[in-house]
Amino acid sequence: MFLQQLVNGISVGGIYALIATGYALIYSLLGFSNWAHGEVAMFGAYMALTLVTRTNSPFLGALVFGILGAGLLSIFNEKVAYKRIRDHGSPTMFLMIAAMGISTTYQNGAMLAFGPKFQMFPSMFETSTIQLGSISIGILDVISLLTTIVALVVLDLLINKSKMGLGIRTVASNSYTASLMGINIDRYFALVFLLAGMLAGSAGVLLGLKYSVYPTMGNVSLKAFIASVLGGLGSVRGAIVGALIIGILETMVSGYLSSGLRDLVTFGLLIVILLVKPSGLMGVTIEDKA
Amino acid sequence: MSGYLQGIIILVGINLIAVLGVSILTGFTKLFSFGNAGFMSIGAYTCAILTTRYNVPFIVAIIAGAAFAGLVGYGLGSLTLGLQGDYFLITTLGFGECVRVLFEYITPVTGGAKGFSGIPHYTNIWIVLISVILAFIFAWTLTHSKYGRNLTAIREQEVAAQAVGVDTAKNKLMAFVVSAVYAGWAGALYANSLTFLEPKIFNLAKSSELTITTVIGGLGSLTGSFLGTCVVTLLPEIFRSLSSYRMLLYGIAVVVIIIVRPSGLYGYKEFSITRIGKWFKKLGKKAGDAKRRGDVAE
Amino acid sequence: MSEILKICGLNKNFGGVRAIDSFHLQLEEGKIHGLIGPNGAGKTTIFNTVTGIYQPDSGDILFRDKKITNSKPFQIAQMGIGRTFQNIRLFSNLSVLQNVLIASNMDITYNMMQSFLRLPKYKREEEQLCEKAMNLLEIVGLQDLADARANSLPYGHQRKLEIARAVALNPALLLLDEPAAGMNGEESVELVGFIKEIKTRFHLTVLMIEHHMDVVAGLCDHVTVLNFGKTIAEGTLDDVKCNKLVVEAYLGEEK
Repeated sequence: MFLQQLVNGISVGGIYALIATGYALIYSLLGFSNWAHGEVAMFGAYMALTLVTRTNSPFLGALVFGILGAGLLSIFNEKVAYKRIRDHGSPTMFLMIAAMGISTTYQNGAMLAFGPKFQMFPSMFETSTIQLGSISIGILDVISLLTTIVALVVLDLLINKSKMGLGIRTVASNSYTASLMGINIDRYFALVFLLAGMLAGSAGVLLGLKYSVYPTMGNVSLKAFIASVLGGLGSVRGAIVGALIIGILETMVSGYLSSGLRDLVTFGLLIVILLVKPSGLMGVTIEDKA
Repeated sequence: MSGYLQGIIILVGINLIAVLGVSILTGFTKLFSFGNAGFMSIGAYTCAILTTRYNVPFIVAIIAGAAFAGLVGYGLGSLTLGLQGDYFLITTLGFGECVRVLFEYITPVTGGAKGFSGIPHYTNIWIVLISVILAFIFAWTLTHSKYGRNLTAIREQEVAAQAVGVDTAKNKLMAFVVSAVYAGWAGALYANSLTFLEPKIFNLAKSSELTITTVIGGLGSLTGSFLGTCVVTLLPEIFRSLSSYRMLLYGIAVVVIIIVRPSGLYGYKEFSITRIGKWFKKLGKKAGDAKRRGDVAE
Repeated sequence: MSEILKICGLNKNFGGVRAIDSFHLQLEEGKIHGLIGPNGAGKTTIFNTVTGIYQPDSGDILFRDKKITNSKPFQIAQMGIGRTFQNIRLFSNLSVLQNVLIASNMDITYNMMQSFLRLPKYKREEEQLCEKAMNLLEIVGLQDLADARANSLPYGHQRKLEIARAVALNPALLLLDEPAAGMNGEESVELVGFIKEIKTRFHLTVLMIEHHMDVVAGLCDHVTVLNFGKTIAEGTLDDVKCNKLVVEAYLGEEK
């Protein structure tokens, strides 16, 4: 029973991690929490759903389509809104307010475009389960878990091993100095939005498959946001750890206590952890230099 | 006055009180809260329970609701206001959600997710008007005094504010408590106007709406908050056909305002007759200049 | 003459880097003392430790014989230490007058209720405050710009406004962090006269960080020279000028 819950928790936490890493990536470069990130995931889910219902595309095609759609929307947000706000030299607070506005816009736009109803993907996989000792895992969960692992490993390699990742880390550590060194920082900002958007898109498709697709499904990103705060704002690995903690905690509370208490425990834990570690589990304390 | 019109004024008034609280917190102190709907909820349920179950006079119940919200705000703020930026924000968000989940869970007290019904309909236009006037005057005198100056100092430059002797922690806590009291006050009026409560009325979307209204009205301006509230509450009433586009339009409006008028947001401009007079004069002068230029060209 | 500021054995590390290494200072009332030294010598760190932004790792800071090492920045300001910042930190979207008013808020004794009811006490105190602030602006020559937004002022005016704001606090000790930074020769000469005038008028003791040697020569009774957090020389400017360590710190070691 416990192991079963643990596996479910990791599976849910993995999907949170796909979104949470996006929060961390964008925060590390721009210093603000992109509240519109959940809606990017929602958009990816709708893209995939549309493709599947129209063309009977297989899972992989739908996944790629959703990922691309979400990535493009994420860049669109950056180019149309965030970049302009930065160019005005406005405080980062304005970026967050804009993100809130974008989130509201997309949520209600989706409501008008697709209707408020919950839509299911047509069944793509056998509903059979894999038996591993005492644990049984649905095929869908296996695929979801594999997709998550592949995406996160690729992301980690990309950031920590590739030349592009070095550029991202450079811009993150000090975008102003990086721009003085001749690095085209806007390109890296766009790149990070693309990466974050693609990750969110994959999360959206997986969530849509597991549950359903609906206009406010982006609110799930709240959990991912909490995960990224828990892990420490701007820390990608912290976000993954935070997401797994939250995923596991949620399934455990639902399984052993009551699903009504799930959110209460999550938020309670969040506040307690922040009081003990004000900059999250893996965050860096920034001292304001006078 | 028709019942419909009264209903609208009551709605605008209640929203305005909650928005004024957010305005002081966000517009003047640059603190964000996504938990003010939670404070509204606390005020609403306190007032509803007192008036429905214990026959407490409405005025006393309103004060109790606002005070209880303020007390919770004091407790929460003391714990979390030391956190930086987004870390503080997420705790307010967590608080708001906790209140909602908790109220859904403690069914014997709140009626749970099914709701709390049978609240006496005490809220009338006079109570709302008096509340609005009091709330506005208090907010105005607060922001136009040393307290308000301290808050704007924190908004502009926290380190420098401390360097000139501003107790930033205390002032932030004050702003947070005031915003909680205002939210509780608005919630209390709301409960006895709606006569039915359920926890999910006060969700994250409600908190965001309060902040969005403040932004549309203009940060750092109380009169702006008033206009913002009127626009946000009245537009969907006037254009009934637009009501399904309501939130979509607000979302777009916020993005456009932030992109197009970044400095205008912090204009700190209060709406005043003299300013409008000046503006018209300037406009007249411009028109005159243009005309003269036109004459020369001829 | 009594000591207004006494710093004993002050140490501050940042992740293994000794930013301040057993720093000592005794500052007599009414003097102007200069902290000089190359960039990264730890001068601003000393300011930030005195004003409570940083906690020292060890050592004591006494202001008028009272230990202030564990006090918060706003408490230290209220005790009477005003400061300016190396990179100007004005309340940039507020008016020039508002900037000064905020720093004078401590003179005010009315409470929230008296303000809410706009009692005579509120009006009287606000009027007095405004008058005081306008006087101060007149002294620094910004009275005509009282309604201008602080960030719309030219650079030199912003520096002056920051000093005016610090003075509005009624401090006994004023810490100036590179007041002449970015000024040309003419402007620095004017600044020297300005600081002298402010000092006499408000009976201030001044501790200042400065790179312009003509400004230091024109103002400072004594100087302390720092390099890599260590004090390498103390005395009058003429004394330290010839010091071998000082010359090395600025020009590099002789080969």
